[in-house]
Amino acid sequence: MKNVKTQEGKKKKVTERSLSMFLFTIPATVLYCVFFIYPIIIGVLYSFTDWNGLSKDYKFIGLSNYITAFTNSRFQNAVKFNIRFTLMAVILVVGLSLILALIFNNSKLKCMSLFRGIFFFPAVLGMLVVGLIFNEIFYRVVPVIGKAMEIPILSSNILASKSTAIYGILIVHVWLAVAMATVMLLAGLQSTPEELYEAAVLDGANRWQKFKYITMPFLLPVLSVVLILQVKSGLTVYDIIVALTNGGPGGATESMAVLIYNHGFKEVKLSYAIAEAMILTIVICAISFIQTSISNKKKVY
Amino acid sequence: MKKKPSIFTYLFLICGALLIIFPMYLTIITAFKSTEELTKSIFAFPSSFYLGNFQEVIEKSGFLHSVVNTVFVTIAACLGVVLVVPLVSYAIARNMDNKRYYKYLYYFLLIGIFVPFQVKMMPLVQVMSKFNMLNVPGITVVYVASAVCEGVFLYVAFIQGVPGELEESAYMDGASTIYTYWRIIFPLLKPMTATVLIMDGLWYWNDFFLPLIALNKTPDNYTLTLFVYNFKSQTTVNYSLIFAGLLLAMLPIMVSYVFLQKQIMGGLVNGAVKG
Repeated sequence: MKNVKTQEGKKKKVTERSLSMFLFTIPATVLYCVFFIYPIIIGVLYSFTDWNGLSKDYKFIGLSNYITAFTNSRFQNAVKFNIRFTLMAVILVVGLSLILALIFNNSKLKCMSLFRGIFFFPAVLGMLVVGLIFNEIFYRVVPVIGKAMEIPILSSNILASKSTAIYGILIVHVWLAVAMATVMLLAGLQSTPEELYEAAVLDGANRWQKFKYITMPFLLPVLSVVLILQVKSGLTVYDIIVALTNGGPGGATESMAVLIYNHGFKEVKLSYAIAEAMILTIVICAISFIQTSISNKKKVY
Repeated sequence: MKKKPSIFTYLFLICGALLIIFPMYLTIITAFKSTEELTKSIFAFPSSFYLGNFQEVIEKSGFLHSVVNTVFVTIAACLGVVLVVPLVSYAIARNMDNKRYYKYLYYFLLIGIFVPFQVKMMPLVQVMSKFNMLNVPGITVVYVASAVCEGVFLYVAFIQGVPGELEESAYMDGASTIYTYWRIIFPLLKPMTATVLIMDGLWYWNDFFLPLIALNKTPDNYTLTLFVYNFKSQTTVNYSLIFAGLLLAMLPIMVSYVFLQKQIMGGLVNGAVKG
């Protein structure tokens, strides 16, 4: 953006301008350092100590917290829960939102704006509030329906059973997440130029070929963003669980985020909780990195 | 070019739409039911719109306070973001090509994008309590700081697409940098500002985690999400009250969605696809 015309009188202006520009960066940088970077750094340092969050002094214990985390059965259960949950959530959310986006991309659909208005609505709602609504629904409404239709699994509160509670959480998570994923995928589809399809039809391409060679390459960047966001939200699922089961029954739905919260704030194991959070961070970063590099390779154009 | 959607497509859409509407329908009708009507049927439409539940929730100590807190946090934090984030983004976007400080600053500000909240939450609460910030203005500041990452990413990309001629001619006329930024650049950023405001505004309004760890000890500081969370755990019998509370917490968002659906979804998708 250099402009040749500003040559004259440059000296005087450059000083005022470069000083102002520098000052422009101060407020955001200070806020970011104090309330974002600094907590992360001291958090990482704490994770190598035995500090519980309250005691006066603490000592350096190296990687002990990390080793304990990996051998602790509660943490292992949380990891297992998160992996199961994330796998199911990603498949359901991406699958459903892809179908919906392809449907909405067809301009011949009747009542389009009504359907869109309904389907996109969950994207603006808060996870906690929706979770609390579904909590009441699972508790009071679903059993009534289940009994009337004589489906044994639905006849009692599915959140109260160890084996089915995860599905209750999954339903609410998918209910909320599909909206945003659909909107994003739809935006990706709509960036595909219509002429390409016309040219493909002239060349005699069938529907699958059109999807594979035209739609997919244009959709892939958005799809990889959706995937990363879904994996991240699956691995850090928190609000919904607090609203629905609070980790119960008997720890069956204790996700990593819930466990970290419990260790850090309720059970006074601060440094240990941060070590667990660090493991979570490393996993998320690794997955995002792998995902981006794979989708970058696959990009055709 | 495109085929007409089949009947199955419509069936699929209608089923999905019903699944989305059902919880909302249930919330609304239950909130308007009196205690006697609750026992009759869960699904039936109320025979008359009973407003007692809303009255009781509103009169509950702390409700109005939590509304004021949430409105304050949302508006103040949004204002803070709009004041701070485009400013630093402008400086970065116009200088990162030839000055190392701005280039490194840009990458430094982006580090946080993948760090989940769990890593910093415990030290963050310590920092906040050290500065006596475990209150409503305190979390407002933290919200602004937490929005820097994504905001800078979005704004810098946007500003790089804004041609520099306009501001150069202003500089030629001897305008100061801050004047040029405020009168010429900032108005040009409106589309991105709308995007960021919608994204962050919804986040601040709906957020539960930060209020939970920072404000849960003092009821005076409750935000709406904290209020309904605590209200729900205290109310067990009369669940039409719970639904009335939850409906009130969602109401501003529902109303704005009905009137501004296009703008809101446009803003969300703009922010999410680029982020």
